Amino acid sequence: MDNFQKKFVEEATDLINNLEEAVLALEKDISNNELIGEVFRIMHSLKGGGGMFGFDDISNFTHNLETIYDEVRTGGLKITDDLMSITFSSVDHLRSLLDPDALKDPQINKNNEILLSSVEAILKGSGTEIPIAEAEEELDQDGDKQTIYIYFAPNESIMDNGTNPLYLIDELCTLGETKVFPRTAKVPLLSRFNYSKCYTAWEVFLVSSENINDIHDVFIFVEDDSELEITKVADFDVLANEGFNEKIQSLYSEKNHFDSAVITSLVNDLLEEKKSRMVNVNEKLKIFTKENVISSIRVSSDKIDHLMNLVSELVTTQASLSLYVEENQVYALNQLSENIENITRQLRDTAFSISLIPIESMLTRFHRLIRDLSSEFNKNIDFITEGAETELDKTLIQGLTDPLMHIIRNSVDHGIEPEQERIDAGKTPQGMIYFKAFYSGASVVIKIQDDGRGIDINKVRQKAIEKELILPDAKYTNKEILDLIFIPGFSTAKNITDISGRGVGMDVVKRKVDEIRGTVDLESKENIGTTITIKLPLTLSIIDGLLVVIGDTKYVMPLNLVDKIYAYEKEQFSNAFNNIIVVDGEQIPFYYLRKEFDIPGEPLDIEQLVLVKYEEKRIGLVVDSVVGEYQAVLKPLGKLYKNHEIISGATILGDGTIALVLDTNKIINEFSFKN
Amino acid sequence: MAKTILIVDDSESIREVVSFTLENAGYNVIIAIDGTDALPHFDGKVIDLLLTDLHMPNMNGIELIREVRKIEAYGRIPILFLTTESQRDKKIEAKDAGATGWIIKPFVPAKLLAAINKVMR
Repeated sequence: MDNFQKKFVEEATDLINNLEEAVLALEKDISNNELIGEVFRIMHSLKGGGGMFGFDDISNFTHNLETIYDEVRTGGLKITDDLMSITFSSVDHLRSLLDPDALKDPQINKNNEILLSSVEAILKGSGTEIPIAEAEEELDQDGDKQTIYIYFAPNESIMDNGTNPLYLIDELCTLGETKVFPRTAKVPLLSRFNYSKCYTAWEVFLVSSENINDIHDVFIFVEDDSELEITKVADFDVLANEGFNEKIQSLYSEKNHFDSAVITSLVNDLLEEKKSRMVNVNEKLKIFTKENVISSIRVSSDKIDHLMNLVSELVTTQASLSLYVEENQVYALNQLSENIENITRQLRDTAFSISLIPIESMLTRFHRLIRDLSSEFNKNIDFITEGAETELDKTLIQGLTDPLMHIIRNSVDHGIEPEQERIDAGKTPQGMIYFKAFYSGASVVIKIQDDGRGIDINKVRQKAIEKELILPDAKYTNKEILDLIFIPGFSTAKNITDISGRGVGMDVVKRKVDEIRGTVDLESKENIGTTITIKLPLTLSIIDGLLVVIGDTKYVMPLNLVDKIYAYEKEQFSNAFNNIIVVDGEQIPFYYLRKEFDIPGEPLDIEQLVLVKYEEKRIGLVVDSVVGEYQAVLKPLGKLYKNHEIISGATILGDGTIALVLDTNKIINEFSFKN
Repeated sequence: MAKTILIVDDSESIREVVSFTLENAGYNVIIAIDGTDALPHFDGKVIDLLLTDLHMPNMNGIELIREVRKIEAYGRIPILFLTTESQRDKKIEAKDAGATGWIIKPFVPAKLLAAINKVMR
């Protein structure tokens, strides 16, 4: 109970005591109007105070009782014994209601109801309408905007009782958007003008979500002695329409009062216009929501290519700027240059992500291919895909489609056995090709697996000997023999079929994957199946690189493959046995690139060992010095150098010189072969 | 300058809650407990609004309003009275006496301030 409430309880206790005295006196003198007035007044105070301080039970209880005594006061009701006894009970009951939780007591609650109904019975008996408290509050709440026309012509003497009509117009304006038209036709000549009289009338168009009753409330103090007209003219905002505003403005200057018929026809015109517009809007809305759901747009790939080129150019230009700032020690530009570098990097990443498309886009073709081939070869094959959402650069996807089609053809043609053969081998009659794509670090891996007969190692060896690819008595591991499949001109198909007779063998697959800087790996087990794994870089055109120097030439290594960099004296490399160096207690094989690349000149006293990841191992590559990180925009080397597998491209440095981008995987492959 | 409001009510709790609300809203408040107590305040000092209950001992609200309107300096000040739903006929009587508007009891502070705002700025 707060302080106000405590005060009310004190006061109400006094009031109830007074009430009791007054009722006692009244019982002896039932025609004493003063006493009747007193009883009424106390009831009235209890009701008002109860409502204000949260004693709703008191307020509700005294409501009808107060009305009864008002009736008695005005002569509408006579005091009866019945009323007296009810009043006495009520006085006692009111005392108990001073406890806010009183009605939780079942006895008091029951008492409350009995008394209320007997009070009501007396009122009904008198034929008095029972006023319903706060009925106004329960009116419907229309949340939609509507346009309301208000005509307000106050009584000329309205200002005599302290009313300022302008405040009411102001109040209307707070309810919504308004257009107010004052009408001053009744203003007399100055000689007859009385400053204390109000001659003006107002016409107002109000756009509001308030209901009509709330608007009536604005004029509640004056409606009895003013001309007031409040009508809804439209269920929408007419003031939003320019045409309506113009027309109403011209009507205003023509006439002293808006003609309601004219307004109605204006609104109807608007309604028609609105309806026809609604259809359009609805259609637009539909398209719009549809777009929202997809939340993507179609852009021609030319535009994306162009964007990528521009980003590449920007990266190169930005590198020049950074270099200039560094070389000239322009400190003012330093911050700027770093910001640009940061933004360029983000722009680059965003541009890349735009050009990524999910692998799913090419899967439909494979489904179709397998369905067609299955019926052609009379094989029953189930094609299962996983990771279709994996995204790849669109150029990579284009480059991949052909090799993948070929691999799948091979699987259907050579891998999966005819149904009878499968049953004989104890397999399910239905063959399976399993396609899986997933991210692995900065690469995407695609696996195509079948549960077919696998590759016959002996057949491959025989064929290789026949084709004079290997010597008959040479010893090769199974893996090495399988890799022979990738050598140009190798084909094991017994019959030249529709699909594998086109001279496109696994060598083409390998070459195509190489072109997009990927690797192909083949595993096969007889009677269990073949798995081909293709590993691809996420993107082709720009890579985060590590810029290193050997002699006069700069090289870039893919940063994602660089693990650690160590500095060593040159003797530690020249004296190392079998190109092995111990780093942090681990034996690491290394390649001395100056020697491998046949670069002339003397090595530096201190050289850098760059540890790069290679499969699951770490291999060292020795360079003269490390410059730092560098965003390399890959440019192809052109036709003449396209066979240099260890170089994946070139990039233009900030100073305009060219650095070669090294493919560390291929370097390690090639040099390990060589040695 | 802050407007001055004269509150006339015989209920101390109502006087307190009303003056608390009005003072918080930035008004100056003068208090009287009934009409006879209120009338001497109309002695020439600035009273911008009269807020009075109707049912009071001694001089009731309607009599007070009539008396105030007789004094020329206060002939046009806004006057609000407190009433209840069940007292609709009182409204006409009070308006005839010269009241500007009314506030229906029970009320919340916002309604009180809104009603005042209708008649005084």
